[in-house]
Amino acid sequence: MPWLMVAVLLAAAPEKKPARDRTMLQLIERQNQIASLLTAGRLAWDNGDFATAAARWEALLKIEGLPADVERAVRPFAQEARTRAGTPEFPGSKQDIPPPEVAEPPKPVPVNVSGTVSGGGSAGPGGAVITLRRTDGWTPKPQPLQKPLLEKEKRFVPHVLAVPQGSSIDFKNEDDIFHNVFSLSPAAKFDTGLHKGGAQTTVKFDKAGVVELLCNIHASMLGYLVVVDTPWYAVADGSGAFQIRNVPPGEYEASVWHESSNATVKRKVTVADGAQLAFTVPADKRTNPFPPDKYGKPRQPQLGY
Amino acid sequence: MRAGVLVLLCAPSALAQADAYSPPAASQPSGLQINGYADVGFAAAQGNGTSFAPGDTRIPADYGVDPFATAVNSRGDVASTDSGGRFTNGFLPRSMNIGGQASIFLSTFDVDLKYVPSTVPLLLFGRVQFLPRYGGSGNDTRVIVEQAFAKIAPFSSLELAFSIGKFDSVFGIEYLENEANLRTNITPSLIARYTTGQSLGLKAFYRIQIPGIWSAVSLNAAVTNGGTLVETLSPPDISLVGRPIGSARLGYELNLPSVEVKAGVSGEYGPRNDQHDPTVRQWLLGADLRVVFKGLSLSAEAVKVHQDEGAADKSNGLGPQTLVSEFVARGAYATLSYTLPVSDGALRKFIPYLRYERRRAQFEGFPAYTVDRWTIGFRVDLWEELIVKAEGLLNGEVSGLPKVDNNVFTSSFVYQF
Repeated sequence: MPWLMVAVLLAAAPEKKPARDRTMLQLIERQNQIASLLTAGRLAWDNGDFATAAARWEALLKIEGLPADVERAVRPFAQEARTRAGTPEFPGSKQDIPPPEVAEPPKPVPVNVSGTVSGGGSAGPGGAVITLRRTDGWTPKPQPLQKPLLEKEKRFVPHVLAVPQGSSIDFKNEDDIFHNVFSLSPAAKFDTGLHKGGAQTTVKFDKAGVVELLCNIHASMLGYLVVVDTPWYAVADGSGAFQIRNVPPGEYEASVWHESSNATVKRKVTVADGAQLAFTVPADKRTNPFPPDKYGKPRQPQLGY
Repeated sequence: MRAGVLVLLCAPSALAQADAYSPPAASQPSGLQINGYADVGFAAAQGNGTSFAPGDTRIPADYGVDPFATAVNSRGDVASTDSGGRFTNGFLPRSMNIGGQASIFLSTFDVDLKYVPSTVPLLLFGRVQFLPRYGGSGNDTRVIVEQAFAKIAPFSSLELAFSIGKFDSVFGIEYLENEANLRTNITPSLIARYTTGQSLGLKAFYRIQIPGIWSAVSLNAAVTNGGTLVETLSPPDISLVGRPIGSARLGYELNLPSVEVKAGVSGEYGPRNDQHDPTVRQWLLGADLRVVFKGLSLSAEAVKVHQDEGAADKSNGLGPQTLVSEFVARGAYATLSYTLPVSDGALRKFIPYLRYERRRAQFEGFPAYTVDRWTIGFRVDLWEELIVKAEGLLNGEVSGLPKVDNNVFTSSFVYQF
């Protein structure tokens, strides 16, 4: 209970006025209330329950005598939670706010979802991207990230990267030679242009889907960026094992994408404590021996140009 | 206190599952890759499927017409080369022997083998083709090793590669899409016979990027036994003269985000390899241009050819011939195509195209003649595996040779694996 300790410490802090029991008790109670609302909001945020998070933090902001630094820190998060919860109006006046309820009803505890992917042909199951979307409730939007993706030894590293929708990728050339990363995928058509060793180009990906990464100079380079629209996702390791953490129990549709499969494998699953999932991805996708250049013209990698 | 609040709010969530994967370097690329295609066609040619005009009695018969005009597939095989018993001197393509009858045929069954060891910058490539043909003597099916070479790129920091073996031409640009699954259209151009032949030898490729102007300059050079003439016009693989033939292309490319411009000049010089005298020379000069802009694509190429006269005992891919005649030719083509944007469903590409070409040639002792050709057609890509193409060839005799009905309709169904 770190917040209780903080509250106690704050309450015990030296004050200019003479300490009186009643004042001290009120102070402790208020700090406890702050800590409870703050924590409840954060738990709800982590669970993707932005409406609850917004309600808790808005209640927190209505506490009289709330320290200004706490208010400054919490207000943007409360606004963000309210926005994500889909209610545009953000109550700003303290007068029209009902007294906060401190007591929290017991909430389902998020669980970790583990499992394995098998199949994938000669490429193996590694790199399968597993996503979960709620079928008995709302799937929150994931937080965008900024991630690096390297061009190293004429390869994309990582070979498969999954990122939330709206994320930005820093394409960095770690070779001594030039690269020109591009994609013709419907999810994202882009062209970084030529960039030399050490150079970095950032591209934002706003549309969910699979983005095939190619280099206009080196026809053998191939990588995948999987842009997801759910916070519950993972990429399988070389053995096919994966884990998705902090998933609220419930009913979901699981989707598994793999570079060797023509279609995404989809299945309804129930997430509960100790849930173990198993998927098999087919290796029915033909490897394109003639990857296109950035204008869509097929190239012959054996020629090297 | 604010720091504590921020720590609580901004601390990394427990959602720290893996979001990336790279296979171990040692496990990629994976060993042997096998790809290929089967190309089945349907064609109908006017007349008897040849360009030999009834009543034209000039000898050799193939010096006074363009026997390559009635091409029906991506290899340039024609509907027929039946000269009606008149003497020919081996300036001929291979024939599908369908004459003037509309016919279905299997053009090519192609198997590509590629092996890339994970420990060295080496690539081994082989392209084997099965060519079912039905000649006058029955089943004339051939198996050819069209390409077999090793390529090494010794410096990771340079775009420099050396190849040894039997490989594609380095002359011009048409060889880049010489296979049925790569060509936008079906049939080779009227000048492909001079520029797209494979040959055996050494090849070096070097390219330097110029990022400030989104450009690159490349040099592709080869020293080979034979030249870049197609295999019916020069003996496959071996050197008849004991001296190599040099060929090269110097290229410039501009790779803007929405516009690509590639231009090059090519040259070839060396002994004429369809006879045995090393002092009998041949040379070729060429220029090429490709422009791509928003799905619109223009490819154009021009070539000039000169072959000295030599002594007798000519030999080429069609066997022993008689006359080593002096020969000069020049020709050019331009192809305009447009890739229509299509959805993600079964239909992946739809490309209508139009080609115009012209060729002037003269054999020693014969009048020069000029032919031209319009080609119009379309290519449809279905899924990743299936390609359907259809085109019409309107052959014209411009000057120096008799008019003949030799227009062609041909189609191609290519299944890639």
